[in-house]
Amino acid sequence: MLQIEIDHLNKHYGGFHALKDINISIKQGSFVALVGPSGCGKSTLLRTLAGLEKTSSGDVRIAGQSVIGKPPRERDVAMVFQSYALYPHMDVEHNMNYSMRLRRRPKEEIAERTRTAAETLGLGNLLDRLPKALSGGQRQRVAMGRAIVRNPKVFLFDEPLSNLDAALRVHMRGEIRKLHERLNATSVYVTHDQVEAMTMADHVVVMRAGVVEQQGSPLDLYDRPANRFVAGFIGSPAMNFLPAAAASNGALVLDNDGTQQIGLNRGMTHGRQLWIGMRPEHLSLKPCVNDMAIDATVTGIESTGSMTFVVLEVASQPVVLAHGGRPETRKGDQVRLHISLDDLHLFDRETELAA
Amino acid sequence: MQGIIRTIRDGSGFDILLLGLALLYLIIFSAFPIIYNIIMSLQTVDMFTLTSFNRPFVGLQNYYDIFSQPVAGTIFWNTVKFVVLSIVFQLSIGFGLALFFQQDFPGASYLRGLFLAGWIMPALVVGAIWKWLFAGDFGVINYALTSLGIADDRIFWLSDPNVALYAVIIANIWLGIPFNMILLSVGLASIPRDVYEAAELDGAGVFERFRSITLPLMRAQLGAVISLGVIFTLQQFDLIAALTQGGPADSSNVAQYWSWQFSFQTYEISLGSAVSVLMIIFVIVVAAVYVRSTRHEHSY
Repeated sequence: MLQIEIDHLNKHYGGFHALKDINISIKQGSFVALVGPSGCGKSTLLRTLAGLEKTSSGDVRIAGQSVIGKPPRERDVAMVFQSYALYPHMDVEHNMNYSMRLRRRPKEEIAERTRTAAETLGLGNLLDRLPKALSGGQRQRVAMGRAIVRNPKVFLFDEPLSNLDAALRVHMRGEIRKLHERLNATSVYVTHDQVEAMTMADHVVVMRAGVVEQQGSPLDLYDRPANRFVAGFIGSPAMNFLPAAAASNGALVLDNDGTQQIGLNRGMTHGRQLWIGMRPEHLSLKPCVNDMAIDATVTGIESTGSMTFVVLEVASQPVVLAHGGRPETRKGDQVRLHISLDDLHLFDRETELAA
Repeated sequence: MQGIIRTIRDGSGFDILLLGLALLYLIIFSAFPIIYNIIMSLQTVDMFTLTSFNRPFVGLQNYYDIFSQPVAGTIFWNTVKFVVLSIVFQLSIGFGLALFFQQDFPGASYLRGLFLAGWIMPALVVGAIWKWLFAGDFGVINYALTSLGIADDRIFWLSDPNVALYAVIIANIWLGIPFNMILLSVGLASIPRDVYEAAELDGAGVFERFRSITLPLMRAQLGAVISLGVIFTLQQFDLIAALTQGGPADSSNVAQYWSWQFSFQTYEISLGSAVSVLMIIFVIVVAAVYVRSTRHEHSY
């Protein structure tokens, strides 16, 4: 069952076209991440779902009903803000049950649901604290508690973890995902962190400049990026791109360096300009099956202990190789770089689309 | 000499110097006049004894004399009306305007700035202009009221004992609105927008958001504006001097103007001191409430 349908949605701020013809369908129970660089329109899209922003054209349906023109409170959605937006003058308990008090629910029900939510989030002993007496992580939990007591149709998250430190962020990632499953909720999660999007969501929507560049399952986006932007955005460290062109026989030749032929022939028209995309983790210093090899110079080595990033130069372009160990190579070494042909991504240099 | 330079360079002497200067200023210009005033209110001070400090001590006789003046009751109630009505209307209109200019519309900030015009004008000038506006024969207020049919006859705003006080209050409200508006605007602007958005998503309508978000979060600012408003209203002298001089027949006289009349018109200086001491006590109470109210300031 579709819980949210976004249908040809457009949003203008004066002359600025913030959302351009957005179409997204979200199934009941799914976890959707909106991801993209800052200013791509992901937060605007989320706020449009919440009813905090007006739409210019198109339709948004929640549980089959159009919500265009409906104020936030009639949409039955809950939102967790980046700043948490807790009510500073209310203690944790009153922050969480404000919505129920507004709806004049019976006292017992309010107490019961507040207690359950507080226990779920481990806030039981903090109920009488004011937000200013809480740590960042605790505030974040209160913001989530405020959303879950309402048992809404849809949860909206606006970069909820960006104000937490790295360790807590990884921990809360798991917590939010668990909570989502336990509540069988439908969640839309905005983040600029593609790792967050990849690890938490079942469906990732990559946006740029108000346009949905690609959407699909996390691995779909990783394995089959539709264009160069998505390819470079998804995956960490980012994909390497080398300029190439199709030679007269259809084989690819690295640009800047006509001598390096790549053993890949997809019968492309002579002279077609391309980007060759190679993920750092697919590159290897050792030969593998069905591979191609290019000459490279090691210009730097960065080690994190478990991983080593070898920075190389290929035809005066920087290339990063991720190695799950400690390779025996040193700065200045001349090496042969290997990659399986199945792992190569090709993008047209003019349209930037996958070729 | 070396030692002095070193203490100044190290800062250990410098902080004491700064503290000393501030303290000295307060002692000379605040503490001394207040204490001197209290002493005068316990003595008999007139034109002849003004220059010597050795004056007869009369205890609370001056205070007794004030309260036995026939106009004391009138002036007390006038002062209460003057303060309460001024504050209530300055605050409600100022708050209303602050909320209005908080809305996003073209020119909002320019129009808000325009309201400050009233504040930068000297109260004496404001009084002179209001005197024209209120004029019984040619005043524009009477013209407007009679033309619109609101009043049947001209109102003699400044010479009718029944309305003179209210005329002064109206002018004072006008004078106080910009201050209230600006201070409350600052308070409103400091409430994060997303707190309102969260409340909207939680299901709060406009009125409910005002009641359960704006009002409690504005508590510190409202306390400050009310306390400062009381103090400013009790200081308001120029407007009364320009409009009615407390008349006719003390019908628009208030404590601060009465105190001035004692000290500088009839030269019953000790009585003037006694009135001002009573006002100081009241202002100290208000100031204490103000200081307490700032404790409720929220951090976001």
